[in-house]
Amino acid sequence: MSTDPLLRHDDLQEAVPRQRFLLEDTGFDEVPPKYRRFYRKWRGPGDALAANEVICPVCKVVIRSTRELRPGDRVYCMPCMSRLVVVRAEDGGLEARVAY
Amino acid sequence: MSDFLSMYSVQHWLESCPQGYLVGTEFGHPPGESESELIVSDPLLREQAIGTTVQLVVGERCALAASSGLINSAPDEASKRFLATQTLDEARHVEIFTQRLFDLGLKKSELESAIEQYANPNLMKFAEVLLEKVDRKDFVAGVVGQNVVLEGMAFSVFEMMYAGSQTLNPKFAHTLSGTIADERRHVGFGENRIGSLIQEHPEKKPAIERMQKEMSYYMLATFADSFRNNPAREEFKKLRMSTSGAPKAEWHGADLNALEPEEMESLLADTVLKEFKVRLGRIGIEYQTPIRP
Repeated sequence: MSTDPLLRHDDLQEAVPRQRFLLEDTGFDEVPPKYRRFYRKWRGPGDALAANEVICPVCKVVIRSTRELRPGDRVYCMPCMSRLVVVRAEDGGLEARVAY
Repeated sequence: MSDFLSMYSVQHWLESCPQGYLVGTEFGHPPGESESELIVSDPLLREQAIGTTVQLVVGERCALAASSGLINSAPDEASKRFLATQTLDEARHVEIFTQRLFDLGLKKSELESAIEQYANPNLMKFAEVLLEKVDRKDFVAGVVGQNVVLEGMAFSVFEMMYAGSQTLNPKFAHTLSGTIADERRHVGFGENRIGSLIQEHPEKKPAIERMQKEMSYYMLATFADSFRNNPAREEFKKLRMSTSGAPKAEWHGADLNALEPEEMESLLADTVLKEFKVRLGRIGIEYQTPIRP
């Protein structure tokens, strides 16, 4: 299993390359150490999400990828073990929906 | 992705929880931390803290009985293993909140009588509704009641208490922080496992919806009893004034230190019910608006 929560992604098949991100550990300790940099706590309504981040609607943790996220991406939230699909929200941003 | 049940393993739980955020803790907080002197030294505040903590113990005893009771009715091995880890989480919660009662000065010999004295009858009814489903080995209804309704409520209650305790009582905030992390797994299991099972058992929806409405009523009645006619109201004002200049206790856009008890009740109840509606909607269950006590 890849450590990045962005699942089954192939850079070579995309016309527009994705922006890459270097992730730092933010102190999130609710998953095993090698996965910790991929998650952070959400700081509430004023917390702006970067292009590589999406909030898990189940447990409210921010999921972070090393790549920019796009609608249709499938991501995994390890703290609550939810499988999610990224969609375009009404406000133009990205949001995640649970896939059962 | 297709093998998501494999994540419900004891190994994953060990690496995340006992070897993760609980490393080095003692009853859920760093060793050496103690209850706020402000609470321990003020008889009214201490009694209020004991009363609140008793509700947490009662809720967690119910969660322990429910999660352990659901193991044998789980339809697959992975769910049984997950519920086994959840059972240990809930047992830990019972223990750390019971320890808080002792830290607040309660003697061990006084524990059961204090629980009998302070346990909210509406919270007991809430637990009875859930445990009746568990006793009937109704796995789908039991998991919705336990991991969506009870855990969904606990998730919001703990988050609010955490926000209110960060400055006033760091020891209790740290204790709550680990329980919030546990709740993330529990609500995740509730939604993900039941989200797929409910599609196979649509005939169970009406009974589950009635259960949610009933449990929600008893939850609101518990909140009402806890926040209204609070004898420690003036003491709480004193406590809030003592924090002037301290960072805001922000939760869902509100400063908890600036809210009256009724406003806190309203914020908590609305937040939990909104979460219920969203979570139940995601798994295909129609949220039933409860009667407001």
